[in-house]
Amino acid sequence: MIVVDDLSVSYGAVRALQSVSFEAPSGEITAVLGANGAGKTTLLRTISGLVAPLSGTVRKDDEVLTGRKTEDIVRLGVAHVPEGRGVIAEFTVEENLRLGFMIAQGSLPDALAEQYEMFPVLGERRRQAAATLSGGERQMLAMARALIARPSVLLLDEPSLGLAPLVTAQLMQQIRDLCAKESLTVVLVEQNASSALRIAQRAVVLRVGVVVANDSAVAVRDDENLRQYYLGMVE
Amino acid sequence: MDAFLTSRNVSDVLGGLASGVIYALVALSLVLIWRSTRMLNFAQGAMAVFATYIGFAILAPSTNYWVSMAVAIVAGLVLGGATERVLVRRLYGKPEINPIVAMVGLLLVLESVAAAIWSTSSRPLATPFSIVDWQLNHKPMALSPFAVYEIVTSLVVMAIVAALFQYTKLGLQLRAAALAPEVSRLLGVRVSRMLTIGWMLSTAVGAVTAVLVASNFFTGLTPSGMDGVFAFGFIAAAIGGLDSPVGAMVSGLALGVVFQFVGDYVNSNAIILVALGMLIVSLMVRPSGVFTRSAQRRV
Amino acid sequence: MERIVGSRLSVGLSVTAVVAVIVVVLSSSTRLAVALALGVAVLGVGATFVSLTAVRRDHPVATRALISVIVIDLAIFLTFRVSATSNSNVAIGAAMAIVLLGLSFLTGSSGQISLGNGAFMGVGAFTVGIWAEHHPTTPLVAVLVLATLAGALVGLVLGIPATRLRGPYLAGMTLAFAVAFGAILNMFSSWTGGDSGLQLPTAVVAPHWLASFFGPTASSLTTSSAWLADISIVVTGVALFLMANLFASRIGRAMRLVRDNDVAAELVGVSLPRARVIAFTVSAAYAALGGALWTLINNSVSPSTYSFVLSITILSLVVIGGIGTIPGAIMGGIIYAFSTGAISWLTAHLGLNPQGNVASQLDGIIFGGLLVITILFAPLGIAGLVRHGWRWWRRARPTGIVQ
Ligand SMILES: Nc1ncnc2c1ncn2[C@@H]1O[C@H](COP(=O)(O)OP(=O)(O)OP(=O)(O)O)[C@@H](O)[C@H]1O
Ligand SMILES: [Mg+2]
Repeated sequence: MIVVDDLSVSYGAVRALQSVSFEAPSGEITAVLGANGAGKTTLLRTISGLVAPLSGTVRKDDEVLTGRKTEDIVRLGVAHVPEGRGVIAEFTVEENLRLGFMIAQGSLPDALAEQYEMFPVLGERRRQAAATLSGGERQMLAMARALIARPSVLLLDEPSLGLAPLVTAQLMQQIRDLCAKESLTVVLVEQNASSALRIAQRAVVLRVGVVVANDSAVAVRDDENLRQYYLGMVE
Repeated sequence: MDAFLTSRNVSDVLGGLASGVIYALVALSLVLIWRSTRMLNFAQGAMAVFATYIGFAILAPSTNYWVSMAVAIVAGLVLGGATERVLVRRLYGKPEINPIVAMVGLLLVLESVAAAIWSTSSRPLATPFSIVDWQLNHKPMALSPFAVYEIVTSLVVMAIVAALFQYTKLGLQLRAAALAPEVSRLLGVRVSRMLTIGWMLSTAVGAVTAVLVASNFFTGLTPSGMDGVFAFGFIAAAIGGLDSPVGAMVSGLALGVVFQFVGDYVNSNAIILVALGMLIVSLMVRPSGVFTRSAQRRV
Repeated sequence: MERIVGSRLSVGLSVTAVVAVIVVVLSSSTRLAVALALGVAVLGVGATFVSLTAVRRDHPVATRALISVIVIDLAIFLTFRVSATSNSNVAIGAAMAIVLLGLSFLTGSSGQISLGNGAFMGVGAFTVGIWAEHHPTTPLVAVLVLATLAGALVGLVLGIPATRLRGPYLAGMTLAFAVAFGAILNMFSSWTGGDSGLQLPTAVVAPHWLASFFGPTASSLTTSSAWLADISIVVTGVALFLMANLFASRIGRAMRLVRDNDVAAELVGVSLPRARVIAFTVSAAYAALGGALWTLINNSVSPSTYSFVLSITILSLVVIGGIGTIPGAIMGGIIYAFSTGAISWLTAHLGLNPQGNVASQLDGIIFGGLLVITILFAPLGIAGLVRHGWRWWRRARPTGIVQ
């Protein structure tokens, strides 16, 4: 479980987050929605320690994450798939995965086999440079690289970016299955509100750094105002 | 066969390889740092010489050559790490001339301090290998035990570095930290530690290079003895591509051979002019280096 | 406004007149009195006009000329008063200031750095030496111009790759040139005299009329060291004037645009490659001019002077003085002029053996150390610190004028 409490972040004079509070329970997907520049990426970067907050705290279960280094937060089981995926293009698929496994315990071959089973296309391309993968394959590699260390929290920053609707739907389904199976805490940042709300249990809506809704995904989906003004879901 | 092995051209190639491995090592140590910090370590030669003095001048002169070499390597590791922690760390994110200036300052300090402590006169090292060429049917072969030692040692160092980067967990992290620091942190790589280790490795490679250079009876160890070698090593690295370890090493070897031919057929003063010319031409034609793949950059 | 100008003019001119009278009264000989009064008059009138905002605003070129004249005037006053050794230090330092102006322009305008300006100095120095062997009667000015052009030519050749290179690559290339310079001189040893270098066939001495004007009483003014210092100072003043105009010119401003933002400059229509080559060539030409003066001052030129260490020393002086600024370059020249004295003073006070290893390396340790400290803690050097201090002082004491 991730608990964000009264979090404020600013970049110099620009206030990116203002007193943001919410909880992301284990075994559930919490969607974080909002327009461009709402502060979604900033929120994830603050959780994983890449950005230091002005005030407020982030906790994972009983541990306070705020003030720790990114490298240590990752070791506490918080995996962050960044915006744009962050696949290392010069590395092969397998090297990317080995890097992801670096902080984990146990046998590397077993862990690799497990990921290749979940994402068969990665197994076929294991010796290929990641630069040669398609956008969807890169997204799978980024997911596999995050999952291979067996995290308990998964932060996903716009995984559907640049993917075809069909691929997005498959990806969302995969995220949902994972979450249920491993009892992960998933924080899913999305522009694409409708597909995120379809799989999420909870939803947080940000508007220029402020939480305007924090409710069940169903309630957010059915709220006509939210849909129209903040999520741009005019159907 | 004998006539072939003692012919002028073959001996030029062999002699060229013996100096080429040195340029290749310097180029390699420059590339190690360039890839991770986008800095050209102008103090590389001076740091290497300083480590060598620690190995060979602080210990008693009778100390075993290999013990001194080991001490020099350890001194290189320490000096490289300390430089990164104390000096280089403050220069990340500054305009690109700041690190150049700082490293040149360090170069001047280290060379002056070495000269103040150990004087500028050349100090011969007790090399365990003769520099007298082997004879084949009473003709010299342009290959001495020392040259073989130089070539073998350099190749071993390159192989160790390559294996470290390619096959170990540490190497994977070092490469990742250089290519994508933020992503690496998100995967738990201690990037700032990797930068320190990179400088340590680079300076240790430099220390081996300086020991080899100074082990040559004719040059010996002097405070500024690496200035010229550094210049050639930089030229090799720039031609091969500062981003490409393999390219830097290959072009180091090639330059060694080319220079040997120039020195033999033209004259030895022309070598550096040819080197400068090659650098200028290659930078004009391929500014990022002959071996750097220009496509496929980070997304 | 008119009144302020008028009152400042009258105050400045009367103070000048009073000082000139005092100088005349105190002088030992009439002719010396004339010379000194003239100097005071130039200084006072120049300073008075430069202090007027209207003059600075409406006549920038004239202002720069006046400032150069003031600097020359002050420095020549100095040469009247100091020993022969100090005078040759002043001469050497003034020539160094020219070299520093060149490097400062390169960095200040294009953000690039050269580690080879010691070798460019050598180009100028050896041009003078070689030319004088064959044409010993050539006028001084012609020799200096020739050496400057030689430096510009070499700078142009090396500067062409500079069009495509950025920071570290260019620095590495110039370093290779600096390291190579000794071998290059050796290659042409029949001209350059090999390791021993060249001796000028005739030393530069003060012209006859000067000695006869001052007469025997003021012989110290007409020694060759004072004369050489004066030449060096005047050339520096001219170089300063040209550089100040270059900094302020369209080219100079365009180059600063290049430094700050390549893309913006391209859009504005500044040709990046040309701007970079010009900056590099000018800096090489200035270095060569400084080196040419060194040959005249030393009456000889030796290859060991133009080693890689000199290039690093030049970089140190520019950075410590304040990189990319004219006052910083002048400051660096002054530091260089006094450094020899300061270091031997330090050697004596630390109780070091002047012939020992430590004493001979003290300058390297100090310059290198200051270089590192400056770039870490005051990257704009003394000039930057002074400007900072000045701003702070201005802010601390409001002037009472509401703008
Ligand atoms: N490094 C930075 N420096 C200054 N401002 C920043 C920085 N990063 C983000 N910002 C600003 O903070 C605000 C929030 O940015 P953030 O990237 O968190 O938005 P986002 O919700 O992820 O947007 P998007 O959907 O476009 O990815 C924006 O106004 C942005 O301009
Ligand atoms: Mg974002």
